[in-house]
Amino acid sequence: MTAYDRRTLIVGMAIAAVIAGGVSYFASSAPDGLEKFQEDRGAAEPVHQGASAPAVVFEEYNFKWLGEGFWANAVAGVFGVLIVLTILLLAGYVLRRRRPPVPRGRTVGS
Amino acid sequence: MHIAPGFLSPPVWGTMVAVSGAAVAGSLVVARRHLDERRVPLMGVMGAFVFAAQMVNFPILPGTSGHLGGGFLLGILLGAPLGIISMVCILAVQSLVYQDGGLEALGANIFTMGVLPCLLGAAARRLWLRPQPGAVAYGLSLAGGILAVIAGATVVILLLWWSESLPQTVSLIQAIGVMDSIHLAIGVVEGVVSVAVIRFVLAARREAVIGVEDRISSEETIA
Repeated sequence: MTAYDRRTLIVGMAIAAVIAGGVSYFASSAPDGLEKFQEDRGAAEPVHQGASAPAVVFEEYNFKWLGEGFWANAVAGVFGVLIVLTILLLAGYVLRRRRPPVPRGRTVGS
Repeated sequence: MHIAPGFLSPPVWGTMVAVSGAAVAGSLVVARRHLDERRVPLMGVMGAFVFAAQMVNFPILPGTSGHLGGGFLLGILLGAPLGIISMVCILAVQSLVYQDGGLEALGANIFTMGVLPCLLGAAARRLWLRPQPGAVAYGLSLAGGILAVIAGATVVILLLWWSESLPQTVSLIQAIGVMDSIHLAIGVVEGVVSVAVIRFVLAARREAVIGVEDRISSEETIA
């Protein structure tokens, strides 16, 4: 990982963490387009068998030990961006090809 | 736009698991062959950004909110295979950790918010790999962002209809009309934000956006 990559990660993750951990708390709590449509037309109740994951550590986007509120949402948001980053970096480094092909003897990149 | 648990019938969610599973498998095969390691940090960061952006519901109409999908943006910046892989990761974390979207509906949610918009984004990708993306790139990307959201919303309604989960009081056409008009507004926000983020990322990290495949084809054009 180059210094350049590190800067991408630091700047990008700072932006993501502020949005997920801070801004999202002030987001609209109104139902989204799909939920609103289902509620308005009296079809908000499921008619089939379905399953949600168990709420082990997070109750929706709230860290359970903190109940609800800004900090419960902040922990959930920051944890979420970190776990997505971690999974994608691991997947990326497993899948990557180590050296890009050099077409027809040309040197590509540096 | 996440489909909640219990709204899809078993044949429907089973079909969508198969369809999305095939798309994900194809994406992994292509990524295995072409993924340049210099693009990995950008993929991680953009995935985290889209997860964050999806948490921010913005008001659309009184009593209705919307949030970004982000698949279109990832399709443009990362291409279809990496975009789809990123959306799978985001949607799986939302479903498994935060109970956002039904477990059995994950395949359907990956299709409507991942596969479909990522493919549309990937189609628009070429516009932004030019040296000076201009008005055409802006206009078509804005339109593409709207189209990506509306296409996803329409498929959601079709899946609910196929599952006999649509309200009795509306016809399929009416349902699509209502859903698409709400998502037209959400799509405009999606398109505007996508273009703004693409410009920001291209200004800061252009070389991480361009993949090996793109580089080879542009080298060949020059040669």
